[in-house]
Amino acid sequence: MQDYESLDRRVRACVYDIALQRGYPPKMAETAEILNIPVENVYGAFERLASGRVLVLQPESGEILMANPFSAVPTPFVVETGLYSCYGNCIWDALGVVAMLQTDARIHTSCADCGSAAELSIVSGKVSGDLGVIHFAIPARLWWQDIVFT
Amino acid sequence: MLLFRSEEHIERWCRSWNLPRGATLTLDQGWRLAQAWYGPDRRMPDWRRKTVDEAEELFEELYLKGEFWRLR
Repeated sequence: MQDYESLDRRVRACVYDIALQRGYPPKMAETAEILNIPVENVYGAFERLASGRVLVLQPESGEILMANPFSAVPTPFVVETGLYSCYGNCIWDALGVVAMLQTDARIHTSCADCGSAAELSIVSGKVSGDLGVIHFAIPARLWWQDIVFT
Repeated sequence: MLLFRSEEHIERWCRSWNLPRGATLTLDQGWRLAQAWYGPDRRMPDWRRKTVDEAEELFEELYLKGEFWRLR
């Protein structure tokens, strides 16, 4: 019987290692190649990690949509660091990318209501920027009912 | 979780989407929440998601209180 726990830990570590290196998570085939395991095993691990709310998958392909705070697809939350530019899933996650990298960064986004450009800077662990307020529309206990909308 | 220019813009956005007003955080609160949530290294073998109790405790520490921040 396969040790799923050990496999899932290796896949999780690989996904975040790659995401931290380049700003977006790997696809299934890439993960399988890096870990030298069959792609079916990665598919299963992605599914289990998604069930455990560690990853969010794209519904059709089963590829990663979110390895929070990183997004695999473009979003309105661009994080610019000295290493690369990448996308966060929301403003919390954009700040989360900077927190994970522990680096100075700029976040380029816009007001969700009027579309005006907004830029935040994180320098030496302090955040500043255009006037801004973060709004959580969904109560915490309902976040995972529809995490993409949240 | 979205960024708005001001409270007035949040009100207008909620009306447009027919959603009740949620919770607002200052940039500093959002940054501290991000640091606390995403600080632990997810590559580490012993990393795990926060339990409900741990998450609620963290919200309390950041002055995110009330029914909105309850997880059960």
